[in-house]
Parts: sequence; C-alpha cells; structure tokens
Amino acid sequence: MFKQSTAVTMLNLRSIPQRLGLSLATIFSIALVVAVLMGFLAMANGFRATVAGSGEDDIAVFLRAGSQAELNSGLSRDDVRLIEEGPGIAAAADGTPIVSGELFVIVDGIKRSSQTEANLPLRGVGAQAPQLRAGFEIIEGRMFSPGAGELVVGASVLREFQGFELGDPIRLGTNTWTVVGIFSTGGSLAESEIWTDIGVLQNLYQRGTSVQSVRARLTSPEAIENVRTYVADEPRLNLDVSSEQEYFASSAGGTSDLIMYLGWPLAIAMAIGALAGAWNTMYSSVDARTREIATLRAIGFSGGAAFIGTMVESMMLAAIGGLVGAGVSYLMFNGISASTLGSGFTQVVFSFDVTLQSVINGVVLAMIVGFVGGLIPAVRAARVPLLSVHNG
Amino acid sequence: MNDATLIRKGLFRKKLRAILLMVSIMIAFLIFGALGAFYTVFTAGVDVAAANRLITVNRINFTVSMPFAYWGRVQQVEGVENVSHASWFGGYYQEPRNFVQSFAVDPESYLAAYPELVMPDEQRTAFLNTRTCLAVGADLATQFGWSLGDRIPLLSNIWQKTDGSSSWEFDICAIFDGDEATVPANYAMFHYEYYNEALAFNTDQLGWMIVNTTDPSINERVGRDIDALFANSSAETETSTEAAFNQAFLEQFGNIALVLVLVIGAAFATILMIVGTTMVMAINERTKEIAVMKTLGFNEGRIFRMVLSESILLSLIGGLIGLGLATLMVTGAAAALAGFLPGLAMPMSVVLTALALMIGLGVITGIIPAINATRIRIVEALGKN
Repeated sequence: MFKQSTAVTMLNLRSIPQRLGLSLATIFSIALVVAVLMGFLAMANGFRATVAGSGEDDIAVFLRAGSQAELNSGLSRDDVRLIEEGPGIAAAADGTPIVSGELFVIVDGIKRSSQTEANLPLRGVGAQAPQLRAGFEIIEGRMFSPGAGELVVGASVLREFQGFELGDPIRLGTNTWTVVGIFSTGGSLAESEIWTDIGVLQNLYQRGTSVQSVRARLTSPEAIENVRTYVADEPRLNLDVSSEQEYFASSAGGTSDLIMYLGWPLAIAMAIGALAGAWNTMYSSVDARTREIATLRAIGFSGGAAFIGTMVESMMLAAIGGLVGAGVSYLMFNGISASTLGSGFTQVVFSFDVTLQSVINGVVLAMIVGFVGGLIPAVRAARVPLLSVHNG
Repeated sequence: MNDATLIRKGLFRKKLRAILLMVSIMIAFLIFGALGAFYTVFTAGVDVAAANRLITVNRINFTVSMPFAYWGRVQQVEGVENVSHASWFGGYYQEPRNFVQSFAVDPESYLAAYPELVMPDEQRTAFLNTRTCLAVGADLATQFGWSLGDRIPLLSNIWQKTDGSSSWEFDICAIFDGDEATVPANYAMFHYEYYNEALAFNTDQLGWMIVNTTDPSINERVGRDIDALFANSSAETETSTEAAFNQAFLEQFGNIALVLVLVIGAAFATILMIVGTTMVMAINERTKEIAVMKTLGFNEGRIFRMVLSESILLSLIGGLIGLGLATLMVTGAAAALAGFLPGLAMPMSVVLTALALMIGLGVITGIIPAINATRIRIVEALGKN
C-alpha cells in the first residue's frame, strides 16, 4: 500500500509540468491569500507589540477620575504631592520619590509619507521621567536643559515625521524649539513622543503648575493595591490608578483587534476563491490521467493509492504556495515602519512584525485550502472505473 | 440553435469547472464591493464638504482651544458670509464606553453653516430657543433609543462644572438628519452658553470655527486674512478648506487607500491567473469542435466573438453574484454600524467600476483563447488522432 501510494504520488508530481499553467496559478493564488493574511497579522502584531509591550507592572499611572485618556486629564500640584507622600512609591538613592508629573499637549507634525499634518504628543517631563521608561537612552545629542526651549525627540518620530533632525529649529504652533537630542526606548510607545521640560511647557501653554498625568515607580508590582486603597481613602484625591501594563493593554486592544477582524475575514474569503482554483486544478489533473489511473487499477493498484496520490499533489501545491506567500510577505512586510492614530489621539509609530505564529497561521490556512481542494478530486480518482482504460 | 445558446453550452460544458470559476470571480467582486462601499463612506467627509466652507483651528493642533473672542473678529473679515464655532465635549452616556460624539455650538450660526442638516421647523425653533436643548442626530437617537422630550444627562470625560460634577442635564428637543445619506447624523449638539457658564476651567474658549465664504474662489484669500488676524498672538490659527481638513484627518489613520488597493489587487491577480489559465485550457479542449464549426461555415470573426463572449459571460455571472452579495452584506451591516459609519450603502460609483472590471476581466481572460480559436486550422485539428 505504501509503495503503491509512493509510486502514484511520484507519477502525479512528475506530471505537474503538463499542467504547469494551472499548477502555477494555484500556487500563486494560495501565495497571495497567505500574503494578504500575513500582511494584516504583521500590522496587528506590530501595533500590539509597540503599545502593549510598553507597559511595566511596577509603574503606576494616575489620571483624573473618569478622564480615560491623558489628553482629557488634569491634576494639580497638590495631587502630585499627595501621591509622592503616599505608600508604595519607590525612592531613588537620595531618598526622593520616583514620581513624574507630566503635561501632555498635542502638536502638529508633518508625516513624511503623506505630507499632511498629524497629531504628535509633546510631553513636558521632569527629571525623573527617564527612570520611568524602560530602556530610555539618548542615542544622539543630549538631554534638554531645564528651562530652555529645547526638545528631545523619539527615534520613531524622527523616522516618520519631517523637520525633527538634530540641531534643527522647529516651529510648533507659536513657539520655535531646537532639537537637541534623539532618544530611544527600544521601539516602545514613548519613542513616538517629543519631550521637553515641563516648566517650559506649563509656562508656554498657561497651565500654571498643573499636570495631566503622574507616573510613579512602585516598590513592587503588588504595591499598587496599597496605592489604590490610599487614593480611594484620601478625600482630597479623585484619581484613577492603573499599572502601566493595564493602561497600555487597554489602549492597544481596539486598533489591533480591528486590524485582525479585517484581516481574517478577507483572507478567508480569498482562501475560498483560491480553493475553487485548487479544486479546478486537481480536477484537471485527475481528468487528464483518467486512463492512466484506470490502467494502474487494472494492474492491481488500489483506489487508496490513487486517492493519496492526488491528495499529496494538492497539498504539495498548497504548501509551496503557503511557503512562497510567507517568504514574500516576510521580505515585503517585516520591519516596515508605519504610523496610525492611537488611543491617545496621537500618532503611534510601529513596525510591521511578521511573527512565527503568523507564518504558521498562513501555512496552515494554505494547507487547509490544499486539503479541501484536493479531497473531492481525490475521491474521484479513487473511483475511476476500470473500463476507462478503453476510453479517451 | 443561435450563438447565445452555443455560448451558454460552451460555458457550461463542464458544469463543475464553470461553477468553480464563478465562485472565484464572485469572491473577488464580493471583496471589491464590500471594501469599496466601506471606503466610500469612510472618506465621505471629503465628499460632503461644502466648497465654500473653511475650518479654522489652533495652529498648534486642532485639539487646542482658542479664545472665544476670535469668533467675533472673524465675522469682520471681508468675504465671510457666516462664522460658527464648536467645542469638543468628550461626552458619554451613563458609562464611559457609551461614547457620544457631542459638541457645544452656537446653534443659529451652526445650522446656517451646515444647511444640509434638516429637522422640522418647530424643532429648529425649539433648539434655537431652549438653553438646555440637545439636538440629536437621527442615527445617534436610534443607537441609544432616545426620543423627543427625553431628559438625559451627558457626562464629559474632559470638563468639570464649578460644582465638581461632570454631568450636564439636557432636554432632547430636536432630532436632525442629513439631507443625504452620506451626511453624518451620528452626533449631538447643544448651546455653547449652557456649557460655558458652568465650566470650572477653560471658560470662554472655543474649539474650532466653521467659516462660510461668499464664494469658493476667495477661500484662499479669506483663509490667509483670518490667520493674519491672529499672527504673533498666543493662539495663532490655521485655516484650511473643510475638504482638506477632513482629508488630513483621514490620513492620520494611515494610508488606507494603499492597503485597499493591495488587497483588491491581490484578489484580482488571483482570479486573473485562475480564470485565464482555465479558459486557455477549456478552449484547447474544444479544438475539434471549433474546427467542425469552421467546416460548417462559421467565420473567424464569429468564432472570436463567441469565445470572447463566453469569458465575458462567465465574468459577468460571477461578478454580479459577488456584487449582489456585497450589497446584501453592506445593507445588513449598515444598521449595526450607523453609529460610527453613517450612511453605509453600496455607492453607484462602486457598482459602475465593478461592471467595468467584470467586462475587463472577461476580455483579458478571453482574448488569448479567442485568438487561439481563430487560428485553428481545420485540416490539422480534424486530422489529429
């Protein structure tokens, strides 16, 4: 049985060149289906990795209760002081609590790809802010000096937006700033931001001493519960507290789910189209060899061997298509930089990420197309009547 | 037996094959139709933009407010017919996830700026005269089951009142709709005064202005004059046409047009390959038949036309079924998505493009087999075997 199946399979595969056009069309169409699926998955994964990957569980984010987003929030200097004095907050070596009150303003930047204005976050931060971003480092230039109209720009902003080159003056609204440094946080969300000294920003935007959000380093991830209890019991505080991880995870969900919900149905619809193509090809394959299969049956080959031969041919074409599709999409999509409007109402710069999981998903989808497409033609091959030897 | 019968018989010579090809084609047009409809409604903001409408925002960014006094000053600019203003409320109903797109506006000038918003006269009067009135778009009213006369609280995720609460009480006294399906009616608006007087902070500020010019040809000059008024102040402005403003906002989401072109391109490349190669094969199988037809006196032109008609017919049947399914799908989704994609329907432009694509696909996949068929030589074809 095994020998027979191998023999028939080899016959099938060797005769592919006779149906080259159709076989190539099948491979090509399956490759395109896989490429479309992987394109969407790479986009969704890249976005998710940038946003959700940014959060740490030992950093707490404080916003005004009910504000939902940093842009809507507002906290007073007293709020910041009460948080600093509260429990569960880690202190630096010199004893100062690692707490950063930050101001968040949206400014216009020009997107390189479309040359249109897009929302960028300009964040006013204090001295503690770099300690509250994992992997923060100045990769070019230097940090801004307190009190000066200087900016440090995230590497992602520089990549997607024009005018932020090191040393360049840049006009944001009414004010002209100088870019003195480029920073990286290893591709996380903060890299899509522009930072300056909070005092300068408060002054230019007439915000007094108010801030919009507070980030604080916790003594341990569990300490957030103490902080929550403290905030709930302190009548002067009206805040929402979340760990940075929760905060970003909730804001990553929408966009990346939307991309997934678009990508999968599209890929499945296209897979059905490709399925019809594969089915057609396998029918032609069986049709073209009706006489040959009948002859094999006549000399003692089983119907099962004919079935397996056809299935293997179909799955083989699908596997090639799947791998070609996965390979091409890896070369085409992996690492592409893109940006979209994130939940903070500002641009989030992310890189397409072709993951192993999405490659597996793509190849599995291809194999399903090959399997279903080959099934009925294979059953037919197994049932070729012996009398067909005389026909044709 | 006329040509039409022959074409039909040729197409369904192998029923299963014909059906499979139609399924492939159907899927491609289903994708084209559905994505085309979504894209059209997604970019509707650019199409419904009036030619003489300008949007003035704070130069820093449109989320940054500007002084209320600007409203009066822009009215003085020559060539300005009407100026209105609006402020983002960040509203929600009962729970934060029940987001309500809502603006604080100057009712009279706002309705003048957007003549495409329609409502019964008595409701219009009620909206203009009732301080606590909330004018609700028809789609929004449906979404939350609100009706005329309801008294509802809207909460803001940004603003607070001097009493510390974030809730404003409104009476629904008008329900408006667009005069065309593509005009959005998925938001609510209310009196600026009612909102401003209770604000704890950021009082006497407005979000953006809507400027109608007397003629679209002077848009650019009016825009420049407005921005010049506030140059070198602490809140400089930036004025652009409504269409350009909407376009730039859509661009913020990314190059959606490119993504759609790639997906639709992939779908069409697939069927082009599958249908193209199958048609060549199908006609090759019929070499003898065609030779017989030639023997019977069918001339080359007639055979060419018949083969081409066959592939066009195939493409049209598959394509029309696909487009029909897309229309059903879009119509089905329209009600569910009315909240954030108002006016979702199958646009005529998409239907016409699809029809052109169907014929194009039929011609491209049929042209080579048709040429092959005319080249068949009776002696060779019938001499085989």
